[in-house]
Amino acid sequence: MTRVRSLVSVVDDDESVRESLPDLLREFGFAARAFSSAEEFLESDCVDQTSCLLLDIVMPGGMSGPDLQRELTLRRQEIPIIFISAHADETVRPRLLERGAVACLFKPFSETDLLGALTTALRG
Amino acid sequence: METSSQSWVRPLFIGAIQDVTESKLAEAAPRESEREWRRIVDSIPGLIATLTPAGEVEGVNNQVLEYCGRTLEELKQWGTSDTVHPEDLPRVIEVITQSMASGDPYEIEERIRRFDGVYRWFQVRGLPLRDSNGRIVRWYDLLTDIDDRKRAEAQLAGEKRLLEMVASSCPLTDVLTALCRFVEVTSADCHCGVYLIDWSGPRFRNGAVPSLPATFNDPTDGLPVRREIGPCGQAALFRQQVIAIDLETDPLWQESAIRPLALAHGIRSHWSTPIYARDGRVLGTFAIFHREPASPTRVQQDLIAQVTHIASIAIERALSEAALDKLRSELAHVTRVMSLGALTASIAHEVNQPLSGIITNASTCLRMLDADPPNVDGARETAKRTIRDGNRASEVIARLRALFSKKEFTLESVDLNEATREVTALSLSDLQRNRVMLQFELADDLPAVSGDRVQLQQVILNLLRNASDAMAGVDDRPRQLRIRTELDAANRVRLTVQDVGVGFDPQNVDKLFAPFYTTKIDSMGIGLSISSSIIERHHGRLWAAPNDGPGATFSFSIPRSSEAVPSPPNRDAVRAPAATDAAP
Repeated sequence: MTRVRSLVSVVDDDESVRESLPDLLREFGFAARAFSSAEEFLESDCVDQTSCLLLDIVMPGGMSGPDLQRELTLRRQEIPIIFISAHADETVRPRLLERGAVACLFKPFSETDLLGALTTALRG
Repeated sequence: METSSQSWVRPLFIGAIQDVTESKLAEAAPRESEREWRRIVDSIPGLIATLTPAGEVEGVNNQVLEYCGRTLEELKQWGTSDTVHPEDLPRVIEVITQSMASGDPYEIEERIRRFDGVYRWFQVRGLPLRDSNGRIVRWYDLLTDIDDRKRAEAQLAGEKRLLEMVASSCPLTDVLTALCRFVEVTSADCHCGVYLIDWSGPRFRNGAVPSLPATFNDPTDGLPVRREIGPCGQAALFRQQVIAIDLETDPLWQESAIRPLALAHGIRSHWSTPIYARDGRVLGTFAIFHREPASPTRVQQDLIAQVTHIASIAIERALSEAALDKLRSELAHVTRVMSLGALTASIAHEVNQPLSGIITNASTCLRMLDADPPNVDGARETAKRTIRDGNRASEVIARLRALFSKKEFTLESVDLNEATREVTALSLSDLQRNRVMLQFELADDLPAVSGDRVQLQQVILNLLRNASDAMAGVDDRPRQLRIRTELDAANRVRLTVQDVGVGFDPQNVDKLFAPFYTTKIDSMGIGLSISSSIIERHHGRLWAAPNDGPGATFSFSIPRSSEAVPSPPNRDAVRAPAATDAAP
């Protein structure tokens, strides 16, 4: 019997992130899917299956990362969230963690940091 | 009467007394009275002629014969000879032909050849004498010498043209070239040159020497300002006019450096006059060269005084504009560096994004290679992505360097759409963080403009930041920022930035562009002022208007490339002497 791999979903408006991050996640042994917006993720059939969400904070033109976090809470979807952002604004971190995020990684982050955060997320 | 210009005989000078006595006068006069009239006609200070009704020269007074140095018979051939200046002849024939046909008096200005070959301007007025039946029996011509007036008029017109060139900021080289040409035309048979002085050398720089060949001009460009050079060196150093009547024979110039060069080009005489700034500094020298030994006449001295004055205005203006441009560029640079601080977050985002990609891809690549068996295809793909992200990061750095390290005004063909895209890419994350929704309406086939790409980008950046700042407190509506480019009705390239922010009081519209006017606590209020001066430098205009709804619209328009190329300040700065150095 094959072991069902955990699905990690990536929501980021940057195409290169959507391209590169899932590949690394697969190398880690996860299943991975990428979405270009919060809306696209919500409309997909992955919401229920996602074990961990790697979520960009700023995504212009639609819902932001924190918006999606709020929406999932409202829907009672308790998916562990790891925020990722290229904006090195440390002040947002406490607020996001307060609302239940597992971690907040600032780009560029190391493989170790990412693995550490994923381990924490999936342990819970 | 025949009217063809071929067969037409000049009706210009007549009334020679001998002929008058033979002619069928309407009234008979006693002989004594005849002689009296002849004396009067021959002694008045004017040239008089009589013509037949057909326009043939009948007679002239002595003054005409003396002026022309020709016989009456020769003068009768005026229509085919060079008595009238060839350029004026067709017009003269036309006017006189018409008058002969209509019987109306005529008045015409024409150049008439003097005995020595010099043409002088005359006003020629013709009046018909009619008999009791009203038939024309003779034309009386009065010729008045108006050469001095004509010359003064031409000189005035020339000076006016030159001053207009200065006032309309023509490049200095163009003004000085026109100035030399003007003197060469006004004072015939000479060559002129304006030599600027860079006192930091001190060296001469050719300002304009339009009618002498490169073989003469190239060696003089960059000559040191020393007395041994020749008349120009002495004029500059001794601050007075120097007249070398004959470079070949005058012992004073035997050793001068300019002498062999001048003689090799057939130049015998060289006059040099200092061009002074208002504060007395010598800006350069004005030189007149002749191919024969020559000394200036009073008229020529007046002309020299006039043009050196105009040259000094032109040079001083070019100098101050060059200094101003330098100052503007430095100020623009300072404000750019200041805006660097405000852009830090944006820049960090732009760089972090590809850095993140590099690390992620490199990690993936290593893992693929470490696998058993290694995933070589996958590793190759991720390695390629690593390179792509590396390039992306270096592009960001290159854009930043271009924007923040450059000081000088550089003229190039600029695609305003492209420049806009680049500069918005730099500030995109800043705008996104402020939840600004950017909307592009960039015209297809937008013509290029001539200008300084970085400075234009600075203006766009500044307008974007202002728009974004103006919407910072807006929460009841989407923070929409619209950037539009288009070719406007006046055929100029226009860029418009429209926001839905707090807008401005229309009463303060003039203050907006004044330096140090600001409504923001963290701003010095020089952004719009600098932007405005940058756009003016591009021969364009920057303006603001409140929107019908909330917010404001800022626009600038500049001429498209082919229309008018703004004169780069450095073009003149290179040619002009140093602005700050005083004369020795």
